[in-house]
Amino acid sequence: MDMKREYFEDVRIFTSGAVLFWFVVLIIGLVAIPRVLPNYYVYMANYMAINVIVAIGLNLLVGFTGQISLGHAGFFAIGAYGTVVLMSLAGFPFLLALAVAALIAAIFGFLIGFPALRLEGPYLTIATLGFGLTITLVIGKIELFGGRNGLHTPPLTVFGWHLESDKDFYYLLIPITVLLAWFARNLIRTKVGRAFVAIRDADVAAETMGVNLAYYKTLSFAVSAFYTGVAGGLYAFVLRFIEPELFSLVMSITFLAYIVVGGLGSIMGSITGACLISWLDLQLRNILSIPYLGEWLKSLSQNYFSITGVSNIQYIVLGLIIILIMIFEPLGLYGIWIRTKKYWMTWPF
Amino acid sequence: MLDFFQMILSGIAVGSSYALMALAMVIIYKTSEVVNFAQGEMALASSYFTFMLLTSYGFSFIAAFISAYLFALLLGAVLEFAILRRAKEPNLLGLIIITIGMEFMLLGFVSWKFGADQQIFPFPISPYDSISIGGAFFSMLELISLVIAIFIMVLLFFFFRYSKLGMAMKATQQNPVAARIMGIRTKRIMMLTWGISSMVGCTAGLLISPMLMEPFMMWDSMLKGFSSAVLGGMTSLPGAVAGAYILGIIENLFGGYVSIEFKSVVAFAIIVLILCVKPSGLFARHYVKKL
Amino acid sequence: MTFFSIENLSISFGGLRALEDIQFDLQQGEIYSIIGPNGAGKTTLFNCINGIYRPDRGSIRFEHRELVGLKPDRIAKLGIARTFQNIELFNNMNCMENIMLGRHIFIKTGILRGGLMWGRKSFAGREESAHRRKVEEIIDLLDLQAARNQLVGGLPYGTQKLVELGRALALEPKLLLLDEPCAGMNSEEKQDMIFWIKDIQDELGITILLIEHDMQMVMDISDRILVINFGKTITEGTPEQVQKHPEVLKAYLGEEEDIDHVA
Repeated sequence: MDMKREYFEDVRIFTSGAVLFWFVVLIIGLVAIPRVLPNYYVYMANYMAINVIVAIGLNLLVGFTGQISLGHAGFFAIGAYGTVVLMSLAGFPFLLALAVAALIAAIFGFLIGFPALRLEGPYLTIATLGFGLTITLVIGKIELFGGRNGLHTPPLTVFGWHLESDKDFYYLLIPITVLLAWFARNLIRTKVGRAFVAIRDADVAAETMGVNLAYYKTLSFAVSAFYTGVAGGLYAFVLRFIEPELFSLVMSITFLAYIVVGGLGSIMGSITGACLISWLDLQLRNILSIPYLGEWLKSLSQNYFSITGVSNIQYIVLGLIIILIMIFEPLGLYGIWIRTKKYWMTWPF
Repeated sequence: MLDFFQMILSGIAVGSSYALMALAMVIIYKTSEVVNFAQGEMALASSYFTFMLLTSYGFSFIAAFISAYLFALLLGAVLEFAILRRAKEPNLLGLIIITIGMEFMLLGFVSWKFGADQQIFPFPISPYDSISIGGAFFSMLELISLVIAIFIMVLLFFFFRYSKLGMAMKATQQNPVAARIMGIRTKRIMMLTWGISSMVGCTAGLLISPMLMEPFMMWDSMLKGFSSAVLGGMTSLPGAVAGAYILGIIENLFGGYVSIEFKSVVAFAIIVLILCVKPSGLFARHYVKKL
Repeated sequence: MTFFSIENLSISFGGLRALEDIQFDLQQGEIYSIIGPNGAGKTTLFNCINGIYRPDRGSIRFEHRELVGLKPDRIAKLGIARTFQNIELFNNMNCMENIMLGRHIFIKTGILRGGLMWGRKSFAGREESAHRRKVEEIIDLLDLQAARNQLVGGLPYGTQKLVELGRALALEPKLLLLDEPCAGMNSEEKQDMIFWIKDIQDELGITILLIEHDMQMVMDISDRILVINFGKTITEGTPEQVQKHPEVLKAYLGEEEDIDHVA
């Protein structure tokens, strides 16, 4: 039985020496990646990091507060367009533009939180879904935002440091990601996070214990939208070009897949889920170049399917993985991790 | 005035395909509380299957359509049996995610097999034939869609009201445990529910195919069908149909008088507004948890 | 000054009168019980006091403040806590976190100071430690040490009831509403619960409004009792007075005359 009684144990930055050790290993690994691996992997790491930010933000809303959202591509778009437009038209410096754009996303999140006070389940799904589609459509109609033609990102300078390559951007992006992950972890350990979980588990009881339901639900939407907005602003500079079609419903669905595959209500789960799915997403686009598997797929395709090749095949694999994880481990990768840990703790008994 | 009449007619026409998708989703939601995002792609697969029979295997229309319905029935039942039933301790979100996974897989297979390009579905009636009702135009295809949609709705109504299977489905949805004690095989009922829902969705798919045939063709109808179902209360069959026609008409009126580009957006905005007033849709009673 | 009073409280659901002209007041520090058959409107009354339902008529006054129309969280902040008939705990939090949520209204850490928490010396860290200490006191009081780090969803029923009581106590309420705290407990657990309720009244000086079906227990610990049925007051008074009331006798002891007839 765990009899730990120190009142401050749980508020320490690192809850144990082992955590500190692995954190240092992680930081060294993150610093080393661009120096060791070729550029493509750095691009991939950037892509993953952005999805990690989204996944953490979405998990705060869906996993911790228990609200569903199929409209996060909308917040993502607001962040991306907000940042680019503020920089190129208003001349804001990058970090300021990013922060302002994310705040705008948060305000939209706050507003979406209001219908959420009365809706749940499929009804809330529709409301958020409608929001996501609306944002994409409206942005596509605004001339200032480049309409359907999209926008190119302006050159990126942070405090006099010109970021040109993926590598440079990596060193800007990773600290932001780590900072946001750490912020979220603290948040769920303190008052606000407890209120979120309380609302998810028993909203009426939470209310009678003094939790202001309206405030915390809208706050959850706002925080989640803020994270997604930050990620959107950064994403624009990974792609260097944005257009309305990017921010589709498929994107919102993929965001949900990150956290469900990773594990609802877990920060670690958000990180692993986002990394796994975005890695798969990038890998599956050139599935035919994978040795053996690619050859086999090609012959399969020619014999039984179309001769035109394997368009959209990534959907099959993605769908299959989602289904298998939901069926065999509803807690996602985080659940697998917990089980493995339990197994090794008591091994060999 | 004629414009107005025309817009209402087009609204009703487009509402029919929404109504069929909405019915398909409600049938599943009622029995198992699953919001089935794969509904559109199930219809897509059935439509492409019909397309394949017609173009590659030289089936006659009657034979192809009958095979299409059998395929749809089988597809729905297999998906329920092989995937949904295997889920442990499912919750609402988990089930939605599973259906999204199925959607992705079906979409992937269809685009792999048939390519991502648009196809021409050989239908006996061209989408350009039309008849005139009091000066307003109504395409033959739309008219047929409307008639078939109404026919399916009436059929479903009688099915749930009078048939033994329909009664068993209603019992399963209201109290699964009691239904099982009374000797109803609830699992088999669930499978059949999926099959029937898939057939209703297949009808929508077959009616859309002559106008547009490509892997993403069902997305709009699926989303609008889902919206209609939500508007109607998600558990009520007549509510879903009413929701679908309301949505279709509002959309077309707005498209005609204000802005055609924003017509889908307005549909969603109106739904959100209605839901804010009636959180459980127009035709369902709001459920309040007892403490 | 009356500590807490209810006047002419009425509420109906779709034509069904759930409560009709309920009227009583509480003295500070007493245990006041509400009894009546199932469906009499006892829990509805609690829900009105809590602000979950809004009564059609009447007023609820707590320390000169009108509660009708306030939201549940505002009412909690005034110092009214409650437990539920069917346990309403946060199942995916452990016992300690559940009780910690009871401290919600006292913690000032907002989103920024919480998110930027930096070890135990920071504002959020200091505040967390301070409130954690309060929670430990409650855990000690209710003997919950063994459960403190376990998810409450997996705890035995009796323990869950205790955690819920602990969570309510963490709010440092002036008035505590207990909705069937002993329901479903065995006699040993019941004895403990009675002991704790007495303790809460004596040592913490908290006024208690109690709903309970166990007559023995109600008669033992209550200072005064309100009997309601079909949303209407039958009688009110001390346990001795209430026990002698003919309708109460009829409801709880069977109709004596009938027994006489049969005999």
